[in-house]
Amino acid sequence: MSAFRIHPLLSRLLVACSAGAALAVLATPASAKPAAVDQCYNCHHEGGTPQAIAFAKDIHYLNGVTCADCHGGDPTKDDQDAAMSPAAGYRGKKIRKSDIPVICGKCHGAGSNDFKRENHLTDVADSLSAGVHGEALRNNDNGPQCVSCHGVHNIVAVSDPASPVSPGHVVKTCATCHADAKYMHDFNPRLPVDQYAMYLTSVHGQLNAQGDPKPATCVSCHSNHLIYHVKDPRSPVYATRIPETCARCHSNARYMAQYHIPTDQFAQYRRSRHGIALLERSDLNAPACNSCHGNHGAAPPGAMSVVAVCGNCHQANAELFQKSVHKEPFAKRNLGGCVVCHGNHGIQEPTDALVGFDERSACGKCHKRDASDTAARDITHMRALLDSLQQGQQAADREIDHAEQLGMDVADAKYDLRDVHQALVQARVAIHSFKVSDLADAIHPGIAVLAAAEKAGNEAVHDYYFRRQGLAVSTLIVTLVTVLLYLKIREIEKEKKK
Amino acid sequence: MNETFKTRAMAWLRARLPIDAAVDFAQHKQVPAYHGSVWYYFGGISLFLFIVQVISGILLIMYYQPGVATGYESVRFIVVHVKFGWLVRSVHTWSANLMIFSVFVHMFSVYFTKAYRKPRELTWFTGLVLLGLCMGFGFSGYLLPWNTLAYFATKVGTAISATTPFIGPTILQILRGGSEVGAETLTRFFGLHVAVMPAIFTVMLGTHLMLVQIQGMHEPHEWEGAPESQKKYMPFFPNFILRDLLLWLIVLNVLAILAVMFPWEIGHKADPGAAAPMGIKPEWYFLFMYQALKYFPGKILGLDGDAVGVMLFGAAGLLWALVPIWDSRLPRGSRNRIVTYIGIFVVIAIIVLTGIGLT
Repeated sequence: MSAFRIHPLLSRLLVACSAGAALAVLATPASAKPAAVDQCYNCHHEGGTPQAIAFAKDIHYLNGVTCADCHGGDPTKDDQDAAMSPAAGYRGKKIRKSDIPVICGKCHGAGSNDFKRENHLTDVADSLSAGVHGEALRNNDNGPQCVSCHGVHNIVAVSDPASPVSPGHVVKTCATCHADAKYMHDFNPRLPVDQYAMYLTSVHGQLNAQGDPKPATCVSCHSNHLIYHVKDPRSPVYATRIPETCARCHSNARYMAQYHIPTDQFAQYRRSRHGIALLERSDLNAPACNSCHGNHGAAPPGAMSVVAVCGNCHQANAELFQKSVHKEPFAKRNLGGCVVCHGNHGIQEPTDALVGFDERSACGKCHKRDASDTAARDITHMRALLDSLQQGQQAADREIDHAEQLGMDVADAKYDLRDVHQALVQARVAIHSFKVSDLADAIHPGIAVLAAAEKAGNEAVHDYYFRRQGLAVSTLIVTLVTVLLYLKIREIEKEKKK
Repeated sequence: MNETFKTRAMAWLRARLPIDAAVDFAQHKQVPAYHGSVWYYFGGISLFLFIVQVISGILLIMYYQPGVATGYESVRFIVVHVKFGWLVRSVHTWSANLMIFSVFVHMFSVYFTKAYRKPRELTWFTGLVLLGLCMGFGFSGYLLPWNTLAYFATKVGTAISATTPFIGPTILQILRGGSEVGAETLTRFFGLHVAVMPAIFTVMLGTHLMLVQIQGMHEPHEWEGAPESQKKYMPFFPNFILRDLLLWLIVLNVLAILAVMFPWEIGHKADPGAAAPMGIKPEWYFLFMYQALKYFPGKILGLDGDAVGVMLFGAAGLLWALVPIWDSRLPRGSRNRIVTYIGIFVVIAIIVLTGIGLT
């Protein structure tokens, strides 16, 4: 038995004969080294062909992949014509770009063997094909494929800092296409090409430039081979998935330890008004991390820019704040506008309780309840105005509800009551000017509607009882006439009998 | 002074109208007084409710604006903003229902007492036309508020008419004014409700009342051949008239209580694009026919089941209308029980089918 023991190399060659050279070579991870027979490489290397020179350090060459595994032909023949004959499957010097994922996919695509499993190479070519890059390549032969990012004959392991897809290089590699407006125009003219420029300004980009491999690069958020369009719900940067994607790093306390920033943002956000709207109600208008921090140019908003950031959505509030008495003192103390009262990641639905000196109030953080203080008096006054509208609405609702319960038609009054809600919304905006007069102006139309609605409700209830009283009186009169008529009939009939 | 004025006025009228003849007629007109006399009053009650309908209808028409964009809104305006508009609308609706009920009772009382027999065949025929018109008033008036229930009930109701063999599609087209219930349907229903049908109704009612006065009240069959001493009568004026008036007052009270305590809802404005709400049914007086049609299979001898049902109802209605003719030819004469049994069967069928339909 031992006399017929086959040498491992011979074994590999036998397999290569039956299943193809590439697979056979790649099936030997334990003792990976250049292929024993590769006449293509030998000749081209001896001849000083740049591709062959570069290929000497290529991870594929070092693992036994031959030139013929990609270009076709017969690497065992030393005769050039025989080795590069179409009959032997020679594809040519230049391979069509659209064929490249197919060729790479022979090893890096679907199917599995020990080598693939060990090196996680089961489906990268297929993933590429399923994503936006694959689609771009199908539509345009000049589209991105494997070598666009990984290089051609000088491919090194991703973990190698020299790799164009290593953390230190990947952003620039992506930018070779994504920062090229002319090139991108052929695929998606609407896609911005400033991502790279913005990235360089971001905290992620600055740390990356310093050689820190941990900050996010393009692939950290968009993924690498299987990249979906941003508007595709499967994409990790689809609106509802952004918080979770950012949280992969930012909620990892160990990973973020060296940066000394909190890691509870996502935990706070998912319970916030914004988080609930986006994550639970799938309201795509609700802000995710990038709405405030930016995406490619991600950075924490500085104290002075918070109002501008919030003002992207809450425009009227921001405008009023910028003209308010609070702007200057906040700036002097380096306080970040909106977040001082409302908080940031864990922002909750603002209520009127924020105004005043209650436990939950925001005013009380800086102001003290002091009757001699004008600001404190204004705060109390503003709270009273807000409460008057709230309480007035509750009273009117009760009255209208009472009338409805009695079966009266109060649809018009009910419709008008919607204006009160509108007034309340406007009042809650107006309060950002922190002027009593502005708040009063916003509230007064609502008070007028309330008075009219309450009156209509009162009248309807009064009308209800009036109708019943009227019915009682008329029924009584008709009944009385009926009785009298009955007596008259009896009288007539008695007279007739007599 | 007053006496002089009265005398002068009567003299003025006598010179122009046969007043004495009318007074003489009223003084001598007699109404049979027996255990079945109570049924006589349903004609009067129907008349009273018709008068209520006319008055309340005229009041409503002052504000109602037919049209898809205005029908519902104008009814809302009447109910919410017009003084006592809610009462007028509620009275109109309740009175319509009570009138149809009263007319049905009146018809069955005439049928069971066999008062349709010679010489009152024409009274019977005109009465049936009046009943049909009452139901037509109900059907056309139901759509006018242009609310969801009315819209879909009309859609179902008019669709049933389309199953009539040969002429069904034409009837549907005439009723709807198009392929769907819409603005054209509403305006033509309004026209029928306030102009065409009232005109026909007035002529038929006038004829019906005139025939009743000319022929007098029908006497019970038991009186045939009985001596005059055994027959009891009451004077039409004032006894019968006053009793009629007494009932009218009671009905007025009932009507007022129903209108105030159970005001008819306006519902939601019709939305032809919306899905039909669950449990759409026609008005209760059409329910027995609607319910009966449900029991017909989809196909009968290759014909559409609904079409067969509509034809059977048509035939049954015709037989019912022609009872004065076929009843007179039956051999058993005045005591003919077949007619009574058919009537009992019809009443039970209507009550049971309506009951099932309502539940």
